[in-house]
Amino acid sequence: MSQAQLIQGNEACVKGALAAGCRFYGGYPITPSSEIAEQMVRLLPDLGGVFIQMEDEIASLASVIGASLAGSKAMTATSGPGFSLMQEHIGYAAMTEVPCVVVNVMRGGPSTGLPTSPSQGDVMQARWGTHGDHPAIVLAPSSVAEVFDVTVKAFNLAERFRTPVIILYDEIIGHTRESVVLPDSIEVVDRVQPTDAPADFWPMIAPDDGVPPLPAFGDGYRFHVTGLAHDERGFPTNDAQVAEALVARLHNKIDAHLDEVIEVDTYMVDDAEIAVFAYGIVGRSAREAVMRARDNGIKAGLIRPVTLWPFPYEQVAEVAAQVDTILVAEMNLGQIIGEVERAAAGKAEIKGYLRADGEPITPTALLEAITPDKEGQR
Amino acid sequence: MTDVKTYLREWAMPHVLCPGCAHGIVLRSFLNAVDQLQIDQDKLAMVAGIGCSSRLVGYVDFCTLHGTHGRAPAFATGLKLARPDLKVVVVTGDGDALAIGGNHLIHAARRNIDITVLLLNNSIYGMTGGQAAPTTPEGALASTTPAGNTEPNFDACKLLMGAGASFVARVLAANPMDMTKVMADGLDHPGFSFIEVISDCPEYFGRYNKVGGGAEMLTWMSVRDEGVAGPLAEKRFVNHIPIESVPSGMETGVLQREIRPVYAGVRKVEDHES
Amino acid sequence: MSEGSQGLLLAGVGGQGVILASMIVADALMRAGHDVKQSEVHGMAQRGGSVFSHIRWGERVDSPLVPLGSAEVLAAFEWAEAVRWVEYVRDGGAVVADVRTIVPPGACNDHRSWLRRYPGIDGELFDSRHLKTRLIDATATAEELGNVRAANSVILGTVAAFIDIDNKHWEAAIAHLVPKGTEEINLAAFRIGRDVAEARVPQTAPDPEGFSGPHQIEINHVWCKGCDICSRVCPEYCLAVDVDGKLTIIDAEACTGCKLCEALCPDFAIEISAPREPAVVGNQAAADGSTL
Repeated sequence: MSQAQLIQGNEACVKGALAAGCRFYGGYPITPSSEIAEQMVRLLPDLGGVFIQMEDEIASLASVIGASLAGSKAMTATSGPGFSLMQEHIGYAAMTEVPCVVVNVMRGGPSTGLPTSPSQGDVMQARWGTHGDHPAIVLAPSSVAEVFDVTVKAFNLAERFRTPVIILYDEIIGHTRESVVLPDSIEVVDRVQPTDAPADFWPMIAPDDGVPPLPAFGDGYRFHVTGLAHDERGFPTNDAQVAEALVARLHNKIDAHLDEVIEVDTYMVDDAEIAVFAYGIVGRSAREAVMRARDNGIKAGLIRPVTLWPFPYEQVAEVAAQVDTILVAEMNLGQIIGEVERAAAGKAEIKGYLRADGEPITPTALLEAITPDKEGQR
Repeated sequence: MTDVKTYLREWAMPHVLCPGCAHGIVLRSFLNAVDQLQIDQDKLAMVAGIGCSSRLVGYVDFCTLHGTHGRAPAFATGLKLARPDLKVVVVTGDGDALAIGGNHLIHAARRNIDITVLLLNNSIYGMTGGQAAPTTPEGALASTTPAGNTEPNFDACKLLMGAGASFVARVLAANPMDMTKVMADGLDHPGFSFIEVISDCPEYFGRYNKVGGGAEMLTWMSVRDEGVAGPLAEKRFVNHIPIESVPSGMETGVLQREIRPVYAGVRKVEDHES
Repeated sequence: MSEGSQGLLLAGVGGQGVILASMIVADALMRAGHDVKQSEVHGMAQRGGSVFSHIRWGERVDSPLVPLGSAEVLAAFEWAEAVRWVEYVRDGGAVVADVRTIVPPGACNDHRSWLRRYPGIDGELFDSRHLKTRLIDATATAEELGNVRAANSVILGTVAAFIDIDNKHWEAAIAHLVPKGTEEINLAAFRIGRDVAEARVPQTAPDPEGFSGPHQIEINHVWCKGCDICSRVCPEYCLAVDVDGKLTIIDAEACTGCKLCEALCPDFAIEISAPREPAVVGNQAAADGSTL
C-alpha cells in the first residue's frame, strides 16, 4: 500500500494521467488549471513523454489529437474560456474518433468572469458546446483522490471507445490539498489495434462493439482521417445513409456500454424522503448536509453522479421513484437540473439550490434548504 | 523514377477540384519530390486544414490527417513531436494558413518544428465560393469585394521570414520542375520549411477578374514572376492575357535558408539545475 | 587567317556542361603549349536551348571563331546538336556525338512531320563527307560509372583521340577543372571515351531506321476534366479538347515526349511513355572512315 501524500487536485490529475499512460501534454496557461501544465513539464520528459506549451487552446487540443494519432495517450487542461476555444476540436475528436482527455477546471463565467472562483458553469458546454450530434463522456470528481481515479478512468474510456473524454472539476478541487493514498496498481486500457494486414485495412469498419481499431501513424497502416462525414474507408462522403450510419454508430458505441461509463455514488437514499442531487465539490457539501440532516432526524439522502454525461437517467429515475423531493444543488443558474427533471418525469418534486456568484455552496446552506420550516415546507 | 500514381489513392480519384485548378499540378510536383528523396510511404504523414488545397491529402496514399480550418500546423506539431520518425508535411491554403490559421503557422515557424508547409496560394477562398482572402490583391474582385478589394494583402513569404522560418521559398504552379526541386530542398531541410506555391483559381478568381481559365492563369502567374524565370514564362503559349491586370511581381526561388536548432522538446529540469 | 591553327566545336544543350567541357579542352591545349582562343554561346543560354563553344588553337590564333567547314572535330553532347553543327567540320574531320536525345519543350514549334521535327539518328548523314564518326551513348557509360555528370568526359576522351597532344595534358586539365571529389570518376570516363576511338571497341550504333517514332500519349478520360491546359501547352499541337469537353489526341505522331502536358495536368490524367521501340539499338564495330 502506498503512503499517504498531501497533494493538490491538479497534481492528482497529473499523477492519474501519467499512471494511465499519458505521454503527451499540449496546453496553454489559464487559471485555475495551470498547475497541471507546470507539473507535466517536470514529469513527462523523464518518462519519454512530450510537453509543449502551444500558442492557444485551439492549438493545444489540435496538438493532442495529432499526438494521439501518432499513438500517444494525450491530454490537455484548461478552464472556461479556453474550454470554449477547444470546442471545435472536441467535435473533431468525436467525429474522427481520436482518443484524448480534456480537463476543464471550471471557474466563474461567462467570459473571463471570475478567474479564481469556483463554478460549475460548463456542464452544458461540456455536453453541447461543439456543433452537431455527437456523444460525450464527462466525468466530475469531487475530491483530490477521486480526481486521480477519474483521470485514470478518463484515459481508459477514451482508449476503449476512441472518443474525447472531458473531466470537469472546479477551482476548489483543483487547488485543494488533501491527504490521499494512491493505489499501487491500476487497470490500464489501450486502444485496440487492427488484425488485418495493412493492404486490407479500412479504418472505419467497426466490429460489433462499434469501436474500430486504431493503428498509429507510421506503423505501416496508411489511412485517411477527416472531420467530414466519411465512409468505412475513412473517405469523405455526402451520402445521407452513410452519414447517418456513422453518427448513429458514434452514439451507439457508448450508449450500448453505459454500464462501463456511468458511475453514480448514492448515500442513504433507501429510506430517504428528500435526496440531494449534487456533483463535484458540491457533492461533498451535500454529503455533509445529509449527515447533519440525519442527525436532526430528517430522512435525507444523496445522489452524486461521477459521470455527468451520458446522464444517469435510470439511476436518477430510481431515486425519484423512492423520494418525495430531489434538491438539485449546483454552482450555476440551473444546468443539470433540467436533466434531473427529465429523469424524474414527475415522480418527485424537483427543487434547485443554485448560485453563480463564485462562492461555494456550503453544507450549512444545504442543510437549511433540506430542513422543513414550521409549516413543513422546504 | 516511380510512376507518381503509385502514391495516389487511385480508388478515390478523380479528385474534387475544379477543371483547370492548378492544385493537382502542385500535388504531382510534390509527389515527384517525395519520389526523388525516396521517402518511405509509411513514414510520411500529410496534414491539412480546410479548403480546396487541403482536400488534396485525401488522394495520397500516406497517413493523412484532414483537420480543421487553419489548425493544420498545430496538428502537425503534436504528430511530429510524438512521432519524430515521421516526415510531416502540411498542405494548406492562403485563407486556411494566413487568416484563420495565421497564429498556428507563425508559431510553428518560430519554434522551428521539423515540418514542411506547402501553402497553395490561389488568392481567394475557393471552397466557399470566391470570397476575398488575406492574399487577394488590392483592387481584385471577389464575391465579398464586388467593387474591388480595398485591403492590402499579405506577402506570405515575408510574413514567415519575420516569424523565423528557417527555410522560405516561393514557386509557381506553372513551373512543375522548379516546384519539385524546391519541394525536395524543403523536405530535406532540417527544421521548419515553408513553401508558398502560387496556384490558381480559374473558377472564381479567374472568372471574376477576367483572367481566364487554367491555362491563362498559369501564364498570368508566370508573368508575375520577377525571379527565376520558368520555361512557361518564355513560352507565351496563351494569347490575350490582360497584362495590365497583372499585379506587381513577386520574387520566386528559395528566399531564406538557415540552419538553426530544430525544436526538440522541453529541457529537463535536472539538466537545467546541473 | 591564323597561322597553322586548328578548330574544334563543342555543342550541346543548356545544362549539359558544354562550357566546362570547352574549358577543359582549352586548358589541355594550353598545357600542350598552344595559343588557344575559346568562345562561348552566341545566343540564348536557357536550359534546354542550344549551347555551343568554338575553340581554336595553334602557334598563333587571332579569332576564336571556327569558320564553316574547317573544324577538325565536332564534339556534340546531344544528337540534334551534332546534326545542327556538322557543317562546321572539314571533309574528313571527326564527329563525336552522344546519341542521347534531349527534346527541349517548344524547340520544334514550326515542324509538323516527325522526321523533319527531330533528326533521325543515322550515321549515313555524314557519309558523303568522309567524316570519322563516333556515336556514343556517353550517358549510359557515365551512369554505369556511377555519375551521369561524367558523360562529358566520355565524349572528351573520344575527342582527344583526334587531337594531337599528349594524353597527360588532358588528364591534368580534367583533374584541374572538374568539381572536387569527381576527379577520379571523370578520369575513368575520359579513358573509356578514349578507348572508344583508339581500341575500336564496339560502339553503340544508331538505329538504321532512324528515330523509332513518337512517344505514346495515354489519356485517362475518367480523371480528365477537359480543362484545356494540356492542349494549350503542347508545343506540337498533339491534343485538343473537343466541343463536348473531351480531350482528344489530334496528332499522335507529333509527340516529342517533352511531357509538359503530363507535368501540367492537374488531374493526373495524361501519361507519356517512351516510344515502343528503343531509339538506339545494337552494337556495331566501327572503323575510321566507315559509314557505320
